[in-house]
Amino acid sequence: MTDISHPGTAGRGIDRSRAIYWGVAALTTILVFGPITPIIFQAFLDKPLYDDTAVVTLGNFSRLFSEPGMAGVFFNTLYFGALTMIVAQVFGAVMAVLVGRTNLPGRKWLGEIFIWPLFVSNLVIAFGWFTMYGPSGFMTLAAKTYLGGAPWNLYSVTGMGIVAGLSQAPLTYLMCLAAVTKADPLLEDAARSTGAGPFRALFSVTIPMIRPAIIYSAVLNFVVGIEMLAIPLLFGGPSGIQTVTTFLYNAGINAAVRPEYGIVGAAAVILLIVVAFLVWLQGFLMKGAGRFVTVRGKASRPSTLDLGAWRWPAFLFVFAFAFLTIISIFGGIFMRSAVSFLTPLIPFWKVLTTANFEHVLGSANYVRSIVNSVLVATIGAAIGTFFILVIALVARRSDFRHSRALEYIALFPRSLPGIIAGLGFFYAVIWLPGADVIRGTIAVLILAFMIRYIPVGFGAIAPALAQVGEELDRGARISGADWWTTVTRIIVPILKPALFSCYALLFIHFFKEYVTAAFLYQPGSEIIGTTMLQLVAQGDNGPVSALATIQVVITAAFVIIARRVMGAKIYG
Amino acid sequence: MADLVLENLTIKYGSVTAVDNLNIHVASGEFLTLLGPSGCGKSTSLFAVAGLNHATSGTIRVGDRVLFDGNPNNTVPPEKRNIGLVFQSYALWPHKTVAENLAFPLTLRKIGRAERDERIKEALGLVEMLPYADRYPFELSGGQQQRVALARALVYRPPLLLLDEPLSNLDAKLRERARVWLRELQERLNVTTIYVTHDQAEALAVSDRIAVMSMGRMRQLGTPREIYERPADSFVADFIGSSNFFDGTMIENGTDKARIRLADGSEIVTPPGAAGKDGSVVVAIRPEKIELSSETGPNTMRVSIDQRTYLGSVWQYAVRSGPIEFRIQTPAELKEDSILVRIPQGHCAVFPDKPGAN
Ligand SMILES: Nc1ncnc2c1ncn2[C@@H]1O[C@H](COP(=O)(O)OP(=O)(O)O)[C@@H](O)[C@H]1O
Ligand SMILES: [Mg+2]
Repeated sequence: MTDISHPGTAGRGIDRSRAIYWGVAALTTILVFGPITPIIFQAFLDKPLYDDTAVVTLGNFSRLFSEPGMAGVFFNTLYFGALTMIVAQVFGAVMAVLVGRTNLPGRKWLGEIFIWPLFVSNLVIAFGWFTMYGPSGFMTLAAKTYLGGAPWNLYSVTGMGIVAGLSQAPLTYLMCLAAVTKADPLLEDAARSTGAGPFRALFSVTIPMIRPAIIYSAVLNFVVGIEMLAIPLLFGGPSGIQTVTTFLYNAGINAAVRPEYGIVGAAAVILLIVVAFLVWLQGFLMKGAGRFVTVRGKASRPSTLDLGAWRWPAFLFVFAFAFLTIISIFGGIFMRSAVSFLTPLIPFWKVLTTANFEHVLGSANYVRSIVNSVLVATIGAAIGTFFILVIALVARRSDFRHSRALEYIALFPRSLPGIIAGLGFFYAVIWLPGADVIRGTIAVLILAFMIRYIPVGFGAIAPALAQVGEELDRGARISGADWWTTVTRIIVPILKPALFSCYALLFIHFFKEYVTAAFLYQPGSEIIGTTMLQLVAQGDNGPVSALATIQVVITAAFVIIARRVMGAKIYG
Repeated sequence: MADLVLENLTIKYGSVTAVDNLNIHVASGEFLTLLGPSGCGKSTSLFAVAGLNHATSGTIRVGDRVLFDGNPNNTVPPEKRNIGLVFQSYALWPHKTVAENLAFPLTLRKIGRAERDERIKEALGLVEMLPYADRYPFELSGGQQQRVALARALVYRPPLLLLDEPLSNLDAKLRERARVWLRELQERLNVTTIYVTHDQAEALAVSDRIAVMSMGRMRQLGTPREIYERPADSFVADFIGSSNFFDGTMIENGTDKARIRLADGSEIVTPPGAAGKDGSVVVAIRPEKIELSSETGPNTMRVSIDQRTYLGSVWQYAVRSGPIEFRIQTPAELKEDSILVRIPQGHCAVFPDKPGAN
């Protein structure tokens, strides 16, 4: 029997649970703000960050705005983002309703195809579009030859926006599909029993139900558009069209020859503010979403709407979308990797070659980039899953005083565009004492990717955590377990499926990432994405498509294994 | 075994006071029930004893061990309190078998394998669940889960056992059997027990003493008989069993009795009681305590029968005398339209206001 005044029994001593709370909070804060802080400093300094004679100035911003063409860059960015969003929302939502709620022929396999693009980077997708629909692309040449002309021009902001929108439609599709299939069919039945026809019921009851999903994904796609690098780089580059991202990329890459630290910092800060505002707006718009929540405890079998005579026309429409924007893009990459020259004018078999793969596999650098990508994804996803798990446990399942603040900080990277995360880490490893040891290693890539995708992993773990009744923790605590024993012995075993899903999601995101790595890699730590960026810049399209094919194949193998063996839930 | 002392225990959530100045001394080996309607602060009080929520002020002591001394930053964490707790939802860990559920607290206490197995056997034997040791919780019925939860709370022999509505998820028949069994087990182990329920019949059946709570405050603390027969206020009179409430005016309030004029103009004699500022009172009397009478006299009134309801063991009649409507219960089947009833003075209670007004 001890008294409360005894040291050791008192609550607020430094027990190990509290040490973990503070340790995780400190680590998260350092990792999230570590890369942002130097960018903000740099934006207000007239000389490089590490120069001791630098003084505080607003000159960078005035210089940025007076720079000729800068207004155009900002306009391009916003227009491109808006167009991306609109195109993605329209096609994504329509596909979700058709696949999720009607008797469309082939809806099952079409639905599978729609999520393929989510597994690969938009660099791969952009390259696929370039291969098929670029000025000398396969489809373009085919259209010119057989139809007398190709009415599209990818090398314009509008063309880029449409391509980006079509390639982002799967994201909208995925989010709306969840809402559409979870919407309670009883509500639709109720509308029908009051005299509404089936289409009327769909439009007046179910569509409003998916409004939160549409709003949420709309803002998300706008952000994706604004921070996208691949499409503006591939299609805007040749015609001199710049967005904020390509401006930052070019300025950053060329920093050695033309030091523009200040302007880059200022542009990055503006991009950061815009994206942070959009993410805030997203949360704000979702606030009233509760009244639309129709998700019921038991998954009810969604009723399907009979399209009647429209079944086959609808199928043709959906199939055309899947074929032209997904199947042909992947097909184009695979075909290009197997030929010396891709054109509809010469029979395929006459140009078949293994040279592209030989080129890639024969080069130590390229092979290393593949190995590095696999290492970063395998190891990084494991470290990331553990780190995010501990964050989620402290944020949601502890009596840590600052648990809410920790969650805010951990989710802040939603507002952190990849290009800025990369730039920030680039500065940080120079700026933070001691950080130099990881410079140019895959460790810095893992760290940067991990920070960037905390929200993704958190989103996989937090809902599962919410399903675990708090009384299970309380039961363990009262049985004599401290916080850490409780979470490791009771909560984590129950969370196992969600942890596999988190690992799988992180693996996919880490494996396809390229933007964040663009400033961070050095010879020896290149990954598939950065090597592709390099090769694209040199116009080496054969090896690019071979690398892209290898990336797709490894991803596909991983997804199959993760789903079958680990039972991970990845996108439905 | 140990006694439990709560002194001036107050628990606030923002501006809401969930528990307001609770004072209870639970004797060693006693079975005390916290009884009150849903939301009155029973679970909050119980969890404060367990250390699973933070009290705002007051003292919590078990035996000679202070668990909370009024400083919210200085409480003993739940894992160091050595208290047994059974949750309403049982909170069995779904990934562990019955035996593993019981083994966990023992492992944490670094109890050796042989003794651990012995204790698990003993605890499962107590709750008659020995044959189910290797099952997972989802393979058990609700009643079985409840017993395993109890075994898990007892397996480390805590001096204090807390039960939060442990029977509320069982069906009515099973609940009645379980409460008898639970009480027998408690007496056998002689463990100090706090039992939380909103079911007054359950509370009356199992408790040594009952603390009746309402809106965070304790209204009365006493044996089941005291609570039932001498409710401290009209809330308790209404919540425990059921009572008729007559509006009236205090005419005379003596040391051993009072005279009260009722709304129909009649006068009755009652035990003394407090009146409101304007002299108004309510008289509480339980339906089954009202007697049929064959002759007029003090405290009798003639009533007409409005409605007859057969309740199985008794008949209930809705009756009226002028503006006063009330219920009586008697085993006799009455055919008359109008009868004479007597309000026994000793079973009346006089309060200044109606339940809900206080
Ligand atoms: N964590 C909490 N935050 C805010 N209010 C709470 C919390 N826990 C309980 N309360 C409030 O305290 C009051 C008592 O709750 P509780 O003890 O659960 O009642 P019951 O008697 O049904 O067990 C309720 O009004 C409830 O809303
Ligand atoms: Mg309760």
